[in-house]
Amino acid sequence: MLGDITLGQYYPGNSFIHGLDPRTKIIVTLLSIVAVFLAQSVAAYAILWAMVFFVIAVSRLPFLLVLRSVKPLLFIIVLTLAMHVLIGQGETVLYQWKFIRVTEEGVAMGVKMSMRLMLLLMFSSVLTFTTSPIVLTDGIESLLRPFRRVGVPAHELAMMMTIALRFIPTLLEETDRIIKAQTSRGADFQSGSLLQRAKNMLPILIPLFISAFRRADELAVAMEARCYHGGEGRTRMHQLAYRRGDVAAFGFAVVLLALLALLRWGPLARL
Amino acid sequence: METKNERPFIEITDLTHLYSDAENHEVKALDQVTLSVQPGEFVAIIGTNGSGKSTLARHLNALLLPTEGTVKIRDMDTLDESRLWDIRQDVGMVFQNPDNQIVAAIVEEDVAFGPENIGVPPAEIRERVEKALQAVGMTEYRMRAPHLLSGGQKQRVAIAGTLALGSRCIVFDEPTAMLDPQGRQEIVRTVRTLNREKGITVLYITHNMVEAIHANRVVVMKKGKILFQGTPKEVFSRVDELEALGLEAPLAAKVASELRKTGVPLPEGIITNEELAQALA
Amino acid sequence: MSMELEHVSFTYSKGTPYEKEVLHDISLTIEKSDFTAIIGHTGSGKSTLIQNLNGLLHPTAGRALIEGTDLAGKSPEARAARSKVGMVFQYPEHQLFAETVYEDVAFGPRNLGLGEDEVERRVREAMAFVGLDYEALARRSPFNLSGGQMRRVAIAGVVSMQPEYLILDEPSAGLDPGARRDVFREILELYRKRKMGMIMVTHSMEDALQFATRLIVLNDGRVFLDGKPADLFRERRQELIRVGMDIPEIYKLADALRAAGIDIPETITDRAALVKVLRRRKGGK
Repeated sequence: MLGDITLGQYYPGNSFIHGLDPRTKIIVTLLSIVAVFLAQSVAAYAILWAMVFFVIAVSRLPFLLVLRSVKPLLFIIVLTLAMHVLIGQGETVLYQWKFIRVTEEGVAMGVKMSMRLMLLLMFSSVLTFTTSPIVLTDGIESLLRPFRRVGVPAHELAMMMTIALRFIPTLLEETDRIIKAQTSRGADFQSGSLLQRAKNMLPILIPLFISAFRRADELAVAMEARCYHGGEGRTRMHQLAYRRGDVAAFGFAVVLLALLALLRWGPLARL
Repeated sequence: METKNERPFIEITDLTHLYSDAENHEVKALDQVTLSVQPGEFVAIIGTNGSGKSTLARHLNALLLPTEGTVKIRDMDTLDESRLWDIRQDVGMVFQNPDNQIVAAIVEEDVAFGPENIGVPPAEIRERVEKALQAVGMTEYRMRAPHLLSGGQKQRVAIAGTLALGSRCIVFDEPTAMLDPQGRQEIVRTVRTLNREKGITVLYITHNMVEAIHANRVVVMKKGKILFQGTPKEVFSRVDELEALGLEAPLAAKVASELRKTGVPLPEGIITNEELAQALA
Repeated sequence: MSMELEHVSFTYSKGTPYEKEVLHDISLTIEKSDFTAIIGHTGSGKSTLIQNLNGLLHPTAGRALIEGTDLAGKSPEARAARSKVGMVFQYPEHQLFAETVYEDVAFGPRNLGLGEDEVERRVREAMAFVGLDYEALARRSPFNLSGGQMRRVAIAGVVSMQPEYLILDEPSAGLDPGARRDVFREILELYRKRKMGMIMVTHSMEDALQFATRLIVLNDGRVFLDGKPADLFRERRQELIRVGMDIPEIYKLADALRAAGIDIPETITDRAALVKVLRRRKGGK
């Protein structure tokens, strides 16, 4: 049933990582992403893979669950690999047939690029698996707050995300109901030309938009009735606070980043 | 009522509300309405769609402002902008559609929304949220996602939201219209408890007579005017007038009225089954 | 002329961790000549049941048949069978989409591939059946009508498909007493004059008693009670209350009168009859 879908990909738990402040997790994830982009050598990738496995182990997420987060981009990953392998640049030609040219450099590049994508996806999915969307929103708002002075609407963005999280399941249910209602009046959404099919969607889209506007309107009134007047002077029930674990996590990220920097530019670069 | 000497909580004087409809005709949604409500009173407002009852509700916490006349909440004029947030804290609103008034994706976060808006310190918000959830019996659902709750539970969350804001008066705008019978009962029970045990002033808008039966006073509206008002007994006995308005009197009142017309001698003011049985026994 | 469910079970999200069986081995025959009311508390499987009855959902086990044809499948026969069952969802006015009432009511007939003359004939007829004035309303936007009128436009949009059975999911939800009476007058007209088989899901015991000729009570995905409304309300009161159902006000009033020592026959099911009995007892005219 549509009502059963989990939002985001939150996987409830009470591991060390689940308990971290969302701001810590966002920053550490960003740092890890930078680290991934620094990786060049085999040693660097070995360290990154070790770190991903370490993080997954600490988060106590099922390994397959995290691996599955790669699936939506699997096609792009395979394509990247294939492009580099089949039309490779470089000197050491391993195989050539017409325009297909497999080089050692190309294979290495392809493997690197696809590993990079997989690492990015796995690091960031640990963030979304261990942080509920609501807490994540709080973290983003808090991190963006210093940028308010340069015109970043931190509060408004966070409020929009909160409301979206609240209403996505409701609107999905509504969409399901409208589709069923029009189907039972003989509507056909599959056949016909592209233009025809787009036109056939109108009996779904129009009621859906009307309903979304009506909901937005009613919600705005209800929010006003409950004294909402923007972020000015607003407090929060949940207060974010850094704890000892957050320091450890930051430490981990800094060490990882330093290691990768050394592997790229420092004395370890020859490894 | 014993509270007669107190200042009224709500005082509406000659309230008129004009607006332009979709075809640009001027419509008088409220026409010279005068009504006052004492603290702790439970007033039901009944009328069909288009009688102006929802418009009236929205004047009570300054969501709408008078075209003419005044609305005062504990002596604060809704036209006085400096008192806007005080008025909205005093008078909470619960609307018809349970889905469209819950803001957050977790129950306790939603209840906290009001106090957060007025800058209550975090520790006190927590306290208020806890009390409010307890008052409506939703404590065990505090960490749930609202879209997985029943209609009655969602409305109780909405009520908790107004309580957490510190409202001493709650305006209910057809709160049960979209609920199943079980949800209706939940809400009716919750409203009665809040009124009796917590002394919350209640304005309850409905077209369901059965839900108005526990009110101290019933106000009947038609086309933007107050037609008549009185205790439930007085109002529901006027079976024919209610019928003519498109409203439905309780079954016992209807049967009593029909019996009276055929010459069976019955006292006035019969509205419940037990009263009718007693009168006929 | 009947619809049949043969050992129908239905499971949502089969094969996922959210798997949930909501209908358990239901066998039912619904006669076209009946006005069938289906009641049950929220989550008892009512809406899943009716969606299985018109082929929007297909049983995960068992079969749903109409006049002997299985509703599942892609064959032309199955399609034709599904089109014999019209479905009016809860708050059907929320599915209106066209610029005019005419266009909205014509949506179904056009999907059937009918010629424009026939479409217009059907729109006129459907609007007449739900008590909407064609000349006054056909060219107006459905979104500027009153709630009760919008509801009737939406019902007309299903009636114009000329189904043999009409399933209504809480047709009177959210309407005031006046609009409610109007909607039910039109529904009864369709049942009595057009001889459409009626299946209505409702929360209102009063509506079930007043309009239905058969009452099916669902509980936890199974048929809990099945019979004539008056019989069930009279004889199975305890069971109804046990599964969270109410009984109509007239029975409560009759009980109160009996408790006060006034003899009321068990067969009384409406107000007029009750008044007549009381009048005779108390010597009115």
